[in-house]
Amino acid sequence: MAVQPETSHSVAGSPDMYRHELVIIGGGLAGLRAAYDAVSAGTDVAVISKVHPLRSHSVAAQGGINAALGNADTTTHDSWESHAFDTVKGSDYLADQDAVARMCREAPSAVIELEHMGTVFSRDETGRIAQRPFGGAGYPRTCYAADRTGHNLLHTLYQQVSAKGVRFYEEYFVTSLVTSGGSCTGCTALCIPDGRIAGFLAKATLLATGGFGRIYERSTNALINTGDGLHLALEVSVPLKDMEFVQFHPTSLYGTNILITEGARGEGAVLLNKDGERFMKNYAPGAVELAPRDVVARAIETEIREGRGSPGGYVHLDLTSLGEPLINDRLPGIRQITLDFAGIDPVTSPVPVQPGQHYSMGGVDVDISGRTRLPGLYAAGECACVSVHGANRLGGNSLLDTLVFGKITAGTIIGDLQHIEPGKLSVIRNAVLKETSRIKGLSGNEPGEDIYQIRDALKKTMMDNFGVYRDGPSMETGLIEILALKDRLRQARVPRMQAEFNLPLVHFLEITGMVNIAETVARCAIARKESRGSHARRDFPVRDDEHFLHHSIAVQAGDGSINLLASPVNLGMFPVKERAY
Amino acid sequence: MKFRIFRYKQGDPGPHYDIFEVGEVPGMTVLAALTTIQEQQDPGLSFRSSCRGAVCGACAMLINKVPRLACRTQVRDLINEKDRVHLSPYPALEITTPWDQATEVLVEPLPHLPVLKDLVVDMKAFFDFLHTIDPVFHPGKPFPDKEYVVAQDAVKRLEQYTNCVLCGACFGACPVNSRNPDYPGPAALATLYRFHIDPRERDPGLRVLAADSGSGWWACEFHTNCTRVCPKGVTPSVAIGRARSELKKMKEKPGRLTQDN
Repeated sequence: MAVQPETSHSVAGSPDMYRHELVIIGGGLAGLRAAYDAVSAGTDVAVISKVHPLRSHSVAAQGGINAALGNADTTTHDSWESHAFDTVKGSDYLADQDAVARMCREAPSAVIELEHMGTVFSRDETGRIAQRPFGGAGYPRTCYAADRTGHNLLHTLYQQVSAKGVRFYEEYFVTSLVTSGGSCTGCTALCIPDGRIAGFLAKATLLATGGFGRIYERSTNALINTGDGLHLALEVSVPLKDMEFVQFHPTSLYGTNILITEGARGEGAVLLNKDGERFMKNYAPGAVELAPRDVVARAIETEIREGRGSPGGYVHLDLTSLGEPLINDRLPGIRQITLDFAGIDPVTSPVPVQPGQHYSMGGVDVDISGRTRLPGLYAAGECACVSVHGANRLGGNSLLDTLVFGKITAGTIIGDLQHIEPGKLSVIRNAVLKETSRIKGLSGNEPGEDIYQIRDALKKTMMDNFGVYRDGPSMETGLIEILALKDRLRQARVPRMQAEFNLPLVHFLEITGMVNIAETVARCAIARKESRGSHARRDFPVRDDEHFLHHSIAVQAGDGSINLLASPVNLGMFPVKERAY
Repeated sequence: MKFRIFRYKQGDPGPHYDIFEVGEVPGMTVLAALTTIQEQQDPGLSFRSSCRGAVCGACAMLINKVPRLACRTQVRDLINEKDRVHLSPYPALEITTPWDQATEVLVEPLPHLPVLKDLVVDMKAFFDFLHTIDPVFHPGKPFPDKEYVVAQDAVKRLEQYTNCVLCGACFGACPVNSRNPDYPGPAALATLYRFHIDPRERDPGLRVLAADSGSGWWACEFHTNCTRVCPKGVTPSVAIGRARSELKKMKEKPGRLTQDN
């Protein structure tokens, strides 16, 4: 135990050294939900984020959050078991069924807790939380706040944790995790406003950094979604899981790839090809537009490839039959987005859409309690992989994942803190010195490779070779390109400039991680010689349970190479069956 | 097209403007133009951004003398801009640089907050004001077993204010914020009003009292710049007007205060 009493979190005599019991990296929903429980339990919590927490990508989640509240029940009744079944089937049986059961059982209380914290959800005529149909779901189970569900949830949690005294370190970019004696004892971070490297000593560190969508050319994700936490984990040889499973949302706005919520189809919008045909009936005769995302994305991609899309590569999402009052009431944000970014009013005109990268099912390998394989390091939300989404996530389950596993992981940490000895400040201090000199070495005036050209080439490679459809030879080509980009990045330098708000330096650090993450996606995808959920291979079009009903594990070795392993899927509740909609 | 951009970094004797030329592409936003400039012409240009879809609020700045989100603002409309929002004047709207409106887009940091670098301002004062109004739900207890029952029309009224993304555009547009260092500003007051009208609150209808002072609701001069610049259609000036009339009624019938307690 520390002998010297601390009057503040700063360390005496060291302006850039801080200590907290729990450091959470990332200020989105998973991070803030964990912070809420931890600070409520009396834990000293800090949240480090490269942006103000309200700019986290959770704020952009539109359509809703699944929970078997049963508010929309008529003759039949929804249950957490139905929710779990839909989730497992949606995952193409790769999700761990014990984790899915836990998430679905806790879903109603997760939603009600946020409502009791003040979140304003949309209501039905009786004043209960309204629920809408979503893809792959047997009941109208998706609770929503118009089409701004993530915004309402994130603002609520930000208000709550601010009031409870969580310490925020805004605009700090974490550059490394610090390990000592086989545990994670904190991290180092670049303070973007002044360019200095700060050190954080923590008994527990929680990664809650979100997804890595920006490694793709077309993505619905915020510009900040560069997968930073996954890179941090790789660098300390913490395994990543199921990295090949990347979700493409069927309906991103043509041109900017801004998300058009699945809620639009939930409310009755239909998909039309260039001949005006409602083509989903040919792919999923039962569920049509409300088939899961992987199914709908493949259908759109097929229509476009076979010449039934519009020039440029898109189809139409037609909301015109919904009528202006319903659109204004339940999809006002969508109307604003299509007006602002495409000059199209969905009340009168169909909206051009195409599949765009949307979600990372894979992530840092954690157990059902949120622990990684490195003591002291935890992960939750999109950057983690429990796995509850398996090979394909259902719409409405990502917000749920952040709240349920944010809370569960906080509980785990609160318990673990009782018997974690604090790490040594000297180790953090040394790490700060090392990082300061490493980062100084990234700057130079000699002309080198352009980091933005490398990033753009990476995005194109990922889109061309690891998109909705994949095949062996093209993925092999893609991997070679990724490795070449990794080499080129070693020749790149950040131009020497002022230390304050040095964007090229932040981008350099992000791109370094992006290339690393891309390599793990590529290697996992090449090794999985089957089609399952979002991983659709033209050369192996069928699911192969005999050889591939397992999670992929990717670990970075000391020399930087990536090793692949497998780990079993927890089955038990639902038998593995063929998946049809 | 040309962009005349405000530049400042610590140690500079004062700000200056740089002019950059960017090839316009269809659908280009001011954020996309800034990104192109930063990546291809001047890596040292600093600005904030995140969602690029007008939902996160990171990129509010002064564009052609109107506070707005860079990611939501299409560049094609900005040369000889005709439909520019009309604002009540305040010092930051004065033109201090030879700006040729026929050929250039003018990009400057959000007013009323200290500039840290180029287009990046220190939002601390803005968020400190927000926290002074105690922006937290105070639940009526005991909690119901499930969710509170709330009528749809009450939700509609709440959404008018919960849609705020806290970008600060209103703060940078408010003439009162330009000269009154104690005024919390439109976003903070709209947030307070959001809690005031929440039927689930412990003391519904009383939270308005928290800003019943000369620097609170009563400092507003109803220029309504806030409502005109809000990228999310929030109407702080309406909230302030309603709060003031409710306070007047309360003071006319002081018994009501104790009655609701």
